[in-house]
Amino acid sequence: MATGSSQIEDFGQVSRTVGTIFRYLILAATLFGIVVLAALLVYVANDALQPATADPGWYLTFFLTLVAPTALVGWAVHRRGPAAFTFGSFLVGLLVVSLMFSGGVGLLVVDVVPPLVGFSFAIAIAVPTAISVFLTRYSHRIGFTSRLSATAFVFYLSLFGLPGPIGSPIGVPQVVPSLARAIQSIPVIPVDWMMVGTVLGGIGGAVVGSYVAGVRDARTGLVAGGLAFAATLVSAVVGPFVGLNPVPSTVLTAVTVLPTATYAWRGAFTEERRPAGLGFAAVVVGGALVGAAATSTLGFAGPQSWVDWQFLTSAHSGSAENAGLYPAIGGSILLMATVAALSFPIGVGAAVYLEEYAPDNRLTRFVDVNISNLAGVPSVVYGLLGLGVFVTYLGQAAGTVIVGGATLALLILPIVIISSREAIRSVPSNMRQASYGMGATRWQTVKNVILPEAFPGILTGTILALGRAIGETAPLIMIAAPNVVFSLPTALESKVSAMPLQVYAWSSLFASEDFYTKAVPAGVVVLLAVLLAMNSIAIVLRNRFERTG
Amino acid sequence: MSQQNTDEQTTSEQDAGDGGSPDPTDDEMLIQTDVSESVDETSGTRRRETVVRAEHVDVWYDDNQALSDITMEIPEQSVTAMVGPSGCGKSTFLRCINRMNDLIDSARVEGDLYLRGKNVYDDDVDPVALRRRVGMVFQKPNPFPKSIYDNVTYGLEIQDKGGDYDEIVERSLKRAALWDEVNDQLDESGLELSGGQQQRLCIARAIAPDPEVLLMDEPASALDPVATSQIEDLIEELARDYTVVIVTHNMQQAARISDQTAVFLTGGELVEFDDTQKIFENPESQRVEDYITGKFG
Ligand SMILES: Nc1ncnc2c1ncn2[C@@H]1O[C@H](COP(=O)(O)OP(=O)(O)OP(=O)(O)O)[C@@H](O)[C@H]1O
Ligand SMILES: [Mg+2]
Repeated sequence: MATGSSQIEDFGQVSRTVGTIFRYLILAATLFGIVVLAALLVYVANDALQPATADPGWYLTFFLTLVAPTALVGWAVHRRGPAAFTFGSFLVGLLVVSLMFSGGVGLLVVDVVPPLVGFSFAIAIAVPTAISVFLTRYSHRIGFTSRLSATAFVFYLSLFGLPGPIGSPIGVPQVVPSLARAIQSIPVIPVDWMMVGTVLGGIGGAVVGSYVAGVRDARTGLVAGGLAFAATLVSAVVGPFVGLNPVPSTVLTAVTVLPTATYAWRGAFTEERRPAGLGFAAVVVGGALVGAAATSTLGFAGPQSWVDWQFLTSAHSGSAENAGLYPAIGGSILLMATVAALSFPIGVGAAVYLEEYAPDNRLTRFVDVNISNLAGVPSVVYGLLGLGVFVTYLGQAAGTVIVGGATLALLILPIVIISSREAIRSVPSNMRQASYGMGATRWQTVKNVILPEAFPGILTGTILALGRAIGETAPLIMIAAPNVVFSLPTALESKVSAMPLQVYAWSSLFASEDFYTKAVPAGVVVLLAVLLAMNSIAIVLRNRFERTG
Repeated sequence: MSQQNTDEQTTSEQDAGDGGSPDPTDDEMLIQTDVSESVDETSGTRRRETVVRAEHVDVWYDDNQALSDITMEIPEQSVTAMVGPSGCGKSTFLRCINRMNDLIDSARVEGDLYLRGKNVYDDDVDPVALRRRVGMVFQKPNPFPKSIYDNVTYGLEIQDKGGDYDEIVERSLKRAALWDEVNDQLDESGLELSGGQQQRLCIARAIAPDPEVLLMDEPASALDPVATSQIEDLIEELARDYTVVIVTHNMQQAARISDQTAVFLTGGELVEFDDTQKIFENPESQRVEDYITGKFG
């Protein structure tokens, strides 16, 4: 090799000046955005959480019980295996996020949906679902059309009875009551926590069961599902001994304990085997609990945060100290449920049509361009549209859950369509070919190959779009949603307020120094926390998707 | 057999009704079908009935012609090999047979292509029904992101076919020479297999619903010699009941397994189509001889 004559003395240099300048310019642009946003957030959070008002002893205690152990154990676990550390952090994150969701579900169960109604409708949906699953088992013998009509009929009968809403306009009296109605009219009804526990435990048990069945096998799944169901009911009995009412304990078990425990089991005891991560999570949670106990026995006061239990659970009030966000949080949750229920099926349907069915002609290209344009239309315009269509034209009462939800659904529909189309388009075309090549119809290909593959992407896009809807104020003002409501909406036709609207009201109608420095920042922090929780789910979904796909 | 005749007669009657004059090729076809029952005196083998018949097929992608004036007859219960340099239109021709070209917006097919006497490009032909009778193994392995089991049963599911799925899965995987490697991981994703295993999974998937014609686009391109010879055995076995059309770049393979060979050359023309033995021992065309002996390609 080194024979002298053919040896290269010097490779020379290639200039990188322009590249270097470009690199630092884009770095500066990135930093500028992040720093400005961070400063703003710190400013608001400082107002809302008042960290300076805490005792130094409070900080010291938490440093010793939480921060230091977390850092030490985290470092050790990370050194032994980053995967275990990630698992532990996810577990803690899941705990926090699922606690927030427990709050939301608890709010719905306690104050919005009467237990008997929820119970009866859950049964009225579960029974026909079970029947249709049973029918699908025998799909080889029953034709598709008869199966479809049988399923539709069972659902209709169970939810509406006969002749139901079809009959009422022409004056036919109800002959057969719906299953939901029938359950509601049973003279002896079980106590609330039994009904709530059965519904939540049933859902939780089904989810846990199918997840475990996917990890292990069907029998383990069945056992796990049964255990989850039992745990939810048992928690209602045990709850009062630790100071929780029966209904909230079932919610907490079903929404927080079950998912966290299942995830912990999956990470620590299945083939992944990362018990170190479990230890790390235990140190974090244990540290927080020990810290809380220690500060209260030692008498160290925490920060006088405006975001506290009182703020989260009371309604608006004339004084900033007593003002709360509860009806607005409930309103936002109900609005989001309505928006999701409306925009998801319509948006995904439109996306599937445009991607898989629509011929490539001038009309579809025109629709294409206009959907992109609609995504950029200012939200005030959507508010005006909602007011015009739903209130003036369709004669709905202004400012209700259904009108607000429908308006916000229109607002995010283009975003849902665009992101769903993106997800559908990213399904590799050779999978389509494989399916068509096997003799699948278009519908079979969409159902069996495209939607399952695109689903995580579709869900991510929809959740991010919902995040946009939850922060919208202008459309709600346009449809005359009240700035201040004092109780939770209990029906789709009730008046509704929302978190951003309440914050806006505090900063405009009740503009005073007090509200500016106390209620407004607290409201903003809660709003951002909810948004972050929603987006974190979207991010987790996307990561899972990228890893498998 | 007699069913076949009726079909063809119907077609020719329709043609006569449409165009006003009876199509001579159909009559020839009928005569040939009659002869096919008899035993060829010279070779002593039964002349086989035509399953796929292409007549003057041209395919364009936008303005680029990929196939020009292809006319050939593929007999049933045999293996037909298609060889030729890359880009000469072999895959395109396979896609014509099961109308997968319909899915390519820019593709345009002209000419007639008959499957058992029925023109598959007639308006009343449902391409989905056609593809259920004509299975396909693609050039690039394309298993679904589903379990191995669900991959194999896909065709049965969508066709609403009954039967003992466990048994069909086992049989198909065994015939595709994959069973021994995957029998304890049927629940795992088909995407987690190696490239060659995926290729065999796709073969298993294609044969599970029992298609009568099987189109295979280089099914052994990513396989080791052992798996290749197993797939070749499978192809020979399949050809006892079905009709197999296989694209291959491997001349020895074509010579080994096929009964007749079609040689395509650049420009999308079918230069020669004859019994494999004849093509490899005594081709008519000098270009074909050059190609199969490796002088150009
Ligand atoms: N989807 C398509 N769109 C446009 N042109 C195409 C398309 N598919 C194939 N072609 C063109 O048609 C011609 C024939 O392609 P084809 O894939 O049939 O070749 P092939 O014989 O199968 O080659 P190979 O041996 O490399 O697989 C090529 O010139 C190719 O560029
Ligand atoms: Mg090819």
